[in-house]
Amino acid sequence: MALVSADTRIAELLTELHQLIKQTQEERSRSEHNLLNIQKTHERMQTENKTSPYYRTKLRGLYTTAKADAEAECSILRHALDKIAEIKSLLEERRIAARMAGVYNDSDPPRKTMRRGVLMTLLQQSAMTLPLWIGKPGESPPPLCGAIPASSDYVAKQGDKVAARVKAVDGDEQWILAEVVSYSHSTNKYEVDDIDEEGKERHTLSRRRIIPLPQWKANPETDPEALFSKDQLVLALYPQTTCFYRALIHTPPPRPQDDYSVLFEDTSYADGYSPPLNVAQRYVVACKENKKK
Amino acid sequence: MSELKDCPPLKYYDFKPVEHVKVCPRYTAVLGRSEDDGIGIEELDTLQLELETLLSSASRRLRALEEQRQILTDWQDKKGDKRFLKLSKDADLSASSRHPKPKKQKLEGKAGHGPGPGPGRPKSKNLQPKVQEYEFSEDPQDIPRNPKNDAPNRFWASVEPYCADITNEEIRVLEELLKPPEDEGEYYKIPALGKHYSQRWAQEDLLEEQREGARANDKKKSLLGPLSEIDAKDVDALLKKSEAQHEPPEDGCPFGPLTQRLLQALVEENIISPMEDSPIPDIPVKDDGVGTSPRSQGKPFSVPHTRSLEARIKEELVSHGLLDSEERQGAGGDSEDEVLAELQKRQAELKALSAHNRARKQELLRLAREEMRKQELRQRVRVADNEVMEAFRRIMAARQKKRTPTKKEKDQAWKALKERESILKLLDG
Repeated sequence: MALVSADTRIAELLTELHQLIKQTQEERSRSEHNLLNIQKTHERMQTENKTSPYYRTKLRGLYTTAKADAEAECSILRHALDKIAEIKSLLEERRIAARMAGVYNDSDPPRKTMRRGVLMTLLQQSAMTLPLWIGKPGESPPPLCGAIPASSDYVAKQGDKVAARVKAVDGDEQWILAEVVSYSHSTNKYEVDDIDEEGKERHTLSRRRIIPLPQWKANPETDPEALFSKDQLVLALYPQTTCFYRALIHTPPPRPQDDYSVLFEDTSYADGYSPPLNVAQRYVVACKENKKK
Repeated sequence: MSELKDCPPLKYYDFKPVEHVKVCPRYTAVLGRSEDDGIGIEELDTLQLELETLLSSASRRLRALEEQRQILTDWQDKKGDKRFLKLSKDADLSASSRHPKPKKQKLEGKAGHGPGPGPGRPKSKNLQPKVQEYEFSEDPQDIPRNPKNDAPNRFWASVEPYCADITNEEIRVLEELLKPPEDEGEYYKIPALGKHYSQRWAQEDLLEEQREGARANDKKKSLLGPLSEIDAKDVDALLKKSEAQHEPPEDGCPFGPLTQRLLQALVEENIISPMEDSPIPDIPVKDDGVGTSPRSQGKPFSVPHTRSLEARIKEELVSHGLLDSEERQGAGGDSEDEVLAELQKRQAELKALSAHNRARKQELLRLAREEMRKQELRQRVRVADNEVMEAFRRIMAARQKKRTPTKKEKDQAWKALKERESILKLLDG
C-alpha cells in the first residue's frame, strides 16, 4: 500500500519536474535577450573607448534586469533539483524498505549477490550523481559539502554511505565503504553493512570509527575553499575496490563533475606514492588519524 | 585623473548563457516532449547533472552581475574618490580569483572580456598578470610529484666535499699530519737478546718437576720412613737423575704437553744442527754412567731415534749447567739472526713506506697551498666580474637614455676590464 502511494507520488513529482524544466527554459530564453543586449553594449563601450554617463546608466539598468533574471532562473533550477532530490530520496526509501524486507524474509531471495563489476558501476554512478552544492551569493557551504566535515554531534542516517574502520580477519584495520543500518544513542554505536556484499558482514562500531561521506559536491568554480587542497592527507576509495586508503591530493577537481586526482600511499613505488589516480569527490574524506598502521 | 574618471573598473564579462542544446542534451530532449510523455526515473541522474550545470552557470552569472553592478553604482556615487576605487578594485581581484576565467572560456568556447583597448585598459592591465598567475599556479600541479625523493640532494651533498674550497683548517690538518709521530722511534728499536726459549722452557719444566717430585716425596715420606731423612740436596740430585732416567721412555708414549713440547723442540734442534751429533754421544756415557741402567732398557726401544735421544740428553745437560756447549750457542745465534733479519727487513719496509707517505703529504700540502692562492684569485675575479657587469649596466643604462656614457663611466669600465684581465693572467700563470 505504502509502495503504491510512493509510486504515485513519484509520478506526480516527475510531472512537476517536467513543468519546472519547461519553465526554466522559458526563463532562460527571456533573459537571453537581455544578456545579448549587455554584450552589445559592452562591445560598443569598448570600441568607443570611453564610458559616457549614458552607457553607464544603461549598463546599470541592464545589469539589474539580468540579475533579476538570473535570480529567477536560479530559483527555478533549485526547485527542479529539489524535486529530483525528493524523487531520489523516495526511491532510496523504497530500496531500504525492500532490503529490510529481504533481511527479515530469507525464504524468498530478492537480494541476490551483486556482481563486482555491477557494484563498481553503481558506486561510480552514485558518486556522479551526488548533488552539487550551489549556494546563493554570500552563502557558505554547509557541513558534509566537499571537504567540510560533519559537525561533531552529527549522526548518519540509515542508508547513508560512510567510511568505516573495521578489523579484518587477519587483525589488520581497514577503512571500508559501508552503509549505515542503525545508530544506538545509548551506546553511541553504529551498525553498518559492508557495501561489498561478498563480505556480508555486519559491523557494530563506535562513532569514532565512522566518517560520513560528503552529501554534496563542492563547486570548484564558486566554493574552492570547500575542497581538499593539494598535498592534503586524505582517505580515498581506491579505484575498483571498496576500501579507503591514505592518499595525498594531487589535484583538486577543476570542474564540478570532475574527480580529485590523488596519490595513494604505496610502498611498491620508489617514491612511496602511486601515480595519480582519479577518485570522485564523494569518496574522498579527511584522514583523522595520523599514526601509520 | 580624467582617464580614471572615464574608466570604471568594469570587466565586461561574457554573460553568454549556456548553450543547452550542445551542453545539455537530456534537458533539451525533455523540453521537446509533451506533458504526456513525461520524464523517466532513469533519466533523473543525467538530468540532475545538466540542471546543476545550468544552475552553476546561472549563479556564477548572478555573482558577476552583482559585482559589476556594485562597481558601477559605487563608481557613479563616488566619482573621483580614488581610494574607494582602489578598494573596489581590490575587491575585484579577490572576487575574480574565485572565478577561473580561462575555464569559462574553455567551457563556452569563446574568449570573453579579452584585454581590449579602450576605457577598460587599466583594468586589463590588472587582468593580464592575473591570468598568467592562474596558469602558473596550474602548471606545477601537472608535474608528477615525488615527495620523498631527496636523492639529488643526497648526491650533491656527497659530491660537495670534493668540490668545496680548501680551508685553512684543512691546511692545518695536513701540517699536523706531516709531523713525525712520537712513537716512531719505538718501531726502530732492536730489543736485547733474551734467553733462548729452549732454556727457559727447560727451566720451567725443571721447576715443575721439582714441585711434582716434592709432592711425591711427601707421599713417600709418609710411606717410607727412612727416606725422609735424606736431605734436600740429595733429593734434588735424585730428582735430577730420575728425570734424566725417566724421560727417554716418554718419547714412545708422550705424557704431558710440556714434555711433548720440549721433545719437539729437541727434535727440531737436532734437525737444524745435525753437526752436534758427533760430539754428544761420548759425553752422556761418561757423565751419566751411573744412571744408565734404566736407559739401556729404553735404548733398544728407541733405536731409530738415537740421535734425538742423544740430543735430548745433551740439552738436558745444558739445562743442568753440566755442559757448556759452544755449539749450541752457535746454533742459537743462527735462529736469532733469522728474527733479527726479519725485524730489520720490516723496519726497512716501514722506513720506505713512511718516507713515501711523507713525500705524498708534502705534495698534497703544496697543492693545497697552491689551490688556496688560486681560490683567492678566483674570489678576486668574481669581484672584478661584478665590477665589469656594473660598469656594463651603467653604460647600457646610458645608452638606453640615448646619451653617450661619460668619461668617468668609460674609465671605470676600462679599469674594471683591465683589472679582471690581469687577475685572469695571474690565475693562468
